[in-house]
Amino acid sequence: MTENMNEPVKPRKRRRLSRRDFLIVLGVGAAGFYAGVRLGTPYLRLRLVDFLEESGGPPSNIDAPPDAWFEILINNTVNLYLPKSEMGQGVHTGLAQIAAEELDVDLDQMQVFHAPTTRLVDPVGTSASNTISSLFTPLREVAATLRELMRAEAASQLNVLPQDLVLEAGVFSVSSNPDQQRKYGELFQSLDQWELPENPPALKDPSQYRQIGQPLPRVDLPAKIVGKAVYGFDVRIPGMLYGAVARPETIEGKLVNASPGQAASLPGVVKVVTEDDFAGVVAKSREEAYRALASLQLEWDPGKLWQQEEIEAMVTVGQGRGVVIQREGNVNQNLNNGTLVEAEYRTPMAFHAYMEPMAAVADVGPDKVEIWASTQAANRLRGAVAEAIQRLQDEIVVHPVYLGGGFGRKIDELAAVEAARLSQTAGQPVQVAMSRPEDFNTGFLRPPTHSILRASLDENGMILAIEHEASSGEVAFPFLPSIMGTVMGADFGSYRGANVYYAVPNKQTTAWLAKLPVSTGWWRGLGLMPNTFAVESFIDELANSANLDPLEFRLRHLPDDETGQRTRNALQIAAEEVNWGASLPEGHAHGIAMSYDYGTIIVEIAEVSVENDQIRVHKVTAVADPGLVINPDNVIAQTQGAITMGLSASLLEEVQIRDGAFQATNFNQYPLLRNADAPDIKVVVLNSRNSPTGMGEPPIGPIPAAVANAVFVATGQRLRRLPLKFD
Amino acid sequence: MNLKVNRQDYQVEDTPDRLLLWVLRDELGLTGTKFGCGIGICGSCTVHLDGSPTRACITMLSAANNMEVRTIEGLAETDSAGEPVLHPVQKAFLDEQVPQCSWCMSGQMMTAVALLEQNPNPNADEIRQAMNSVYCRCGTYYRIRKAVERAAQLKAVEQ
Ligand code: FES
Ligand code: FES
Repeated sequence: MTENMNEPVKPRKRRRLSRRDFLIVLGVGAAGFYAGVRLGTPYLRLRLVDFLEESGGPPSNIDAPPDAWFEILINNTVNLYLPKSEMGQGVHTGLAQIAAEELDVDLDQMQVFHAPTTRLVDPVGTSASNTISSLFTPLREVAATLRELMRAEAASQLNVLPQDLVLEAGVFSVSSNPDQQRKYGELFQSLDQWELPENPPALKDPSQYRQIGQPLPRVDLPAKIVGKAVYGFDVRIPGMLYGAVARPETIEGKLVNASPGQAASLPGVVKVVTEDDFAGVVAKSREEAYRALASLQLEWDPGKLWQQEEIEAMVTVGQGRGVVIQREGNVNQNLNNGTLVEAEYRTPMAFHAYMEPMAAVADVGPDKVEIWASTQAANRLRGAVAEAIQRLQDEIVVHPVYLGGGFGRKIDELAAVEAARLSQTAGQPVQVAMSRPEDFNTGFLRPPTHSILRASLDENGMILAIEHEASSGEVAFPFLPSIMGTVMGADFGSYRGANVYYAVPNKQTTAWLAKLPVSTGWWRGLGLMPNTFAVESFIDELANSANLDPLEFRLRHLPDDETGQRTRNALQIAAEEVNWGASLPEGHAHGIAMSYDYGTIIVEIAEVSVENDQIRVHKVTAVADPGLVINPDNVIAQTQGAITMGLSASLLEEVQIRDGAFQATNFNQYPLLRNADAPDIKVVVLNSRNSPTGMGEPPIGPIPAAVANAVFVATGQRLRRLPLKFD
Repeated sequence: MNLKVNRQDYQVEDTPDRLLLWVLRDELGLTGTKFGCGIGICGSCTVHLDGSPTRACITMLSAANNMEVRTIEGLAETDSAGEPVLHPVQKAFLDEQVPQCSWCMSGQMMTAVALLEQNPNPNADEIRQAMNSVYCRCGTYYRIRKAVERAAQLKAVEQ
């Protein structure tokens, strides 16, 4: 487009939110969404679909024009703004590779930033391992669109046809006269009216990929390695004060009376806030704020003093509401034929225990509210702050910063809301950065689960019928409009991984849901790890009853489709890697487990020994097939990380409730896996398709069962409860 | 009192119960040293006091009197052109692409630097034991061990 003063300025065209984008917007990912919809009765299901169609979805401009995503500096540096949070899972690098692919630039020409909510809003947040899969196409389309807009601009400036231009590292040159050039940087600056094409340009064929599929170094590490990366806990802005907030000691505790006591006269104290349900202190330093907090006079109603046994009784198959989520053939009839095998499994509540506790800074001004936070859900957080301090969403800007781990919990907006309330009263920016006990005691947990599995085996050792009844506390429902819960009945977060994947003629899965007095919610993989622990342990028990090798037993029960083929391949490669069946050092044993999760296939084999009832995991070998691999080294890193975190959950972690409070308040009572107990982890990455699935969570699924299955081989004892231990 | 951090002198007020961690982070703005537990368990806050790895979250400011404090910000050197030159441990952690969220990494790297200063050629078991003191929730332990081995090699080549 050339500038023409006489022509009216054309408004920028924005593409309408497409239906596919809208499903992504729902936060469930298409697969989870449809899985959810399958559950409702037909009438309710239709109502839900209507509701979704009519509402047009939450307001969103994630389908935003290129200049919301990109800014190209005159020196040809490409700034990429992302509405997804980098919490260690490497998504900023993966997304940068995807964008660089269609822009035809190298990664070291790019800088990646978290987009403030004024630039891009992602209604969903960063969760459920769907970042790469949901943005894979939209981001390539927006990058290709920008590239073609700049090509048209270059052609017009150079007076040639677009097809006469050659593009190399962000520079267009005329093919017949290579000295004639225009750089991305110049073109981007001169593009001030954009007309977006109705249809995005054609995207590259996978055979042409130069960035996608490469093990490129992560874009966030140079700043992190020198200690310069800024997290919520690290944000420092001029005039910033430190907040400390009073917290109940019990899960149902409520503040009934608060008075400032001597707090206001203590050194450094700027403001003491005592409201009906909220008390806190703002001071010049963190230490002064916490000291003053201790001198507030507070009266609490502790609520009911719950005990662990009561919580476990609620999360028990048959309690609460049960919804059938998978039904093939006739299970009831066929369970009575053949040999019946039955077992039950439990997993406990767990903390997220990321290393950076919740932290946020709020600056509540008369015209504008700014928030800096380690958040997985900037949009949610914006809404929560708006409501808490009675301001319009549009007045609030959220600047997401790096997260020192999130694992689902940093969807929680508590620290930001508290910082905003304190800042509003103090009239200055305030940081709320929790101590470890505050972080442990104020949020939601991984819900406890209980599973009962039953199956019958025929005389050839094949499964005739299998039934899984899976009970869990809530995962997704507390975060969704209540209509979703009413219609779906079963919480898709809780039952993730509960369906029986294997080819069995008669199978049925029922999801039981318990609403607990303790808040439960997202935890890396949601229900995937607890459910996979139950199902994959049980499959091993069946193999044992059938007198078959557990690998062979799994191979015999794979579905006869593309997924079954991919799984067969992954199982066989894993088996070859460890030389399955060959003898191991004295006392060592192998255990195998797999998961199929939203298109990602993971197989894990643990090498374990048991001495004096102590389980030692010596080595884990994993095969990961995430469809299309964006960055193989990051797939390996995520697999290693998820396995290590899953081992910590397998061997050590458990939250117990006594007299209405969590028994553990810090790491002395809630130890995590340490380096000396963490095994070497070998990962084989398979590239099997043309589109990517998720990798942040799936590898956490199989590891507890892989270890329990190995423990069984080593000792003859079947452990059916996490953390795995001998009583 | 005078506090010496990364070869620089700072004047800070030493009221009796101040902890080194918050002075570094909140007063001097050296936020590369992280907080994870406040009770000396996780190791995220590890700095060096005269070369020994020390948990800043349970160290009184007064304990740093007349000592050299070294933090992650003081690990890289600066060359004559003013460009940062990474410490071999930082280089190795980058080469092995160790960090994920990286919140624990200052503690990991400061611990590794202290190990290699004491024992330039640690065996696999010595690395496991030395690095056992710092938590990593993202689960990078295996890569940490590989990076410490690599750092030892890099240091050996450098000398
Ligand atoms: S913060 Fe110091 S050891 Fe955890
Ligand atoms: S890299 Fe996240 S805690 Fe270690």
